[in-house]
Amino acid sequence: MNVLGSRLLPIRGREAGSRLAPPVGARPALRRWLGALCGLSVAFGGALARAQVASLDLNSALFVEPSKRSGLTVLNPSATLSVMPNNWLTVKGGYEADIVSGASESLKGGRLSNVDIVSSATNFSDTRHALTGGFAITRASTYLRGSYTYGTEHDYRSNAFAVSAGSDFLQKNTQIELSYGRGFDQVCTTAYATSDPASSRLALDSSQGCFTDDKKRASREISLNNFQVGWTQTWTPVFATQVVLSAALQNGFLGNPYRSVVIASAGDQALENHPENRARGAVGVRGKYYVRSLETAFSAGARLYRDTWDIFGQTYEVDAERYMLPWLRVLVRGRYYTQTKALFWSDDYTGGEPQTGPRGQYWSGDRELSPLSSYLIGGRVLAKREGRPGERVFGLFLSVSGSVGFDLLKTNLRDFTLGGRAPDDTLAMLWSLGLRGEF
Amino acid sequence: MKHLQSSALLKFLGLSLAASILAASAGCATVRPEQRAILADPTMRFDAESADQAALEHVLDNREGSTGGGSVRGGGCGCN
Repeated sequence: MNVLGSRLLPIRGREAGSRLAPPVGARPALRRWLGALCGLSVAFGGALARAQVASLDLNSALFVEPSKRSGLTVLNPSATLSVMPNNWLTVKGGYEADIVSGASESLKGGRLSNVDIVSSATNFSDTRHALTGGFAITRASTYLRGSYTYGTEHDYRSNAFAVSAGSDFLQKNTQIELSYGRGFDQVCTTAYATSDPASSRLALDSSQGCFTDDKKRASREISLNNFQVGWTQTWTPVFATQVVLSAALQNGFLGNPYRSVVIASAGDQALENHPENRARGAVGVRGKYYVRSLETAFSAGARLYRDTWDIFGQTYEVDAERYMLPWLRVLVRGRYYTQTKALFWSDDYTGGEPQTGPRGQYWSGDRELSPLSSYLIGGRVLAKREGRPGERVFGLFLSVSGSVGFDLLKTNLRDFTLGGRAPDDTLAMLWSLGLRGEF
Repeated sequence: MKHLQSSALLKFLGLSLAASILAASAGCATVRPEQRAILADPTMRFDAESADQAALEHVLDNREGSTGGGSVRGGGCGCN
């Protein structure tokens, strides 16, 4: 599913980190991960015994953003089991975790802020668990899919429902898909009253007491609505295009509950204060063309994005994929992204003369709301082995595939500083590993 | 103000015309089932075996102010 409330969570990665939360080591996480996988196997065991086809996907991604002072590491293992009890129904269950650790600055000030931003960096770790269940019904040229995802971590809970329906038209040359996602999330903050002036609100110093009766903590709602329409068209035997329109409505606490911003020249700080509503829209256009002489599939795409916070984003991407061997294919990709700043963005809110941004009702320390651009290069190698008719791979699978991917992301922050210093955590690496078996 | 309104109207009409031409020309595209060998290959699908793509989008959603407009299921042999 491409439209899921959880995909649009405003707080993730470094921003979701719970300082002082009990560190989660790799072994307990692995045990929980394996336990969830066993649970899924048991849950689906009965159906599996009768299944015509089932598939198991095991994936893991490692995101590393090194830095001398802060830095971030996210390990993202996931497992999904799909079972087809008959030829029109697929039932799916999955587990995913985000194991986040690192350090980040809890205080944001700009070029004129007279405070020590760098030493505000504190260590944190947290694990987000997400359980997903879903189904897909396929009849002739039409399909209907639905899913529910529950996510939990020390300071954030999410409930996301998603449905999508699609159909083929015009001798199956045209495919239309409509999707809708609804999210009901909760984020933990300090227990300020909504009538309190925003400048007097405090940031969280840890996730201790969140979602309990602790009077120093409060739970704020976030409502998410996501809509998407996709149109895929085949034009010739070697050329296809896709147009995707997306819209999202977000309402609630859309800031980072851990981040304070310096808002006065005397060094006064307050909890990051973002508007409570955000409407977002994007249109993506991409095409795939197979060049017979090169035996390679080329893809190019562009995406335009706009939201009511006045961010305008442009994305341009290309990739090429070809078989190096009948069972081995290689993909290389490149991407360029650029965006303008949010209307209320400023690197410095202390009342001096910052280079950009208005000051007043809202203030932010979120670098994703600042003007930036990024370059990405990467690739993936995928090997797949299919059993011959009547024969199974390793005596069990109809087919087995494995993939390894690597991407390098370099971000250029045009206006964001930490007390006047450019952050050094702008080069990120992503490794991904995937295994898939169909049986 | 009037100028702005007419400019927006022209833009809307232009976009509608372009969309209509595209939709109409889509009806002319007839790739027959036996011509779909290449289109059916995973390298020509928009969402084929994209676990690494999902991980990448997960990262980009958290490192950029934009989201949405990504790939959806589509393409392929149309042989459901």
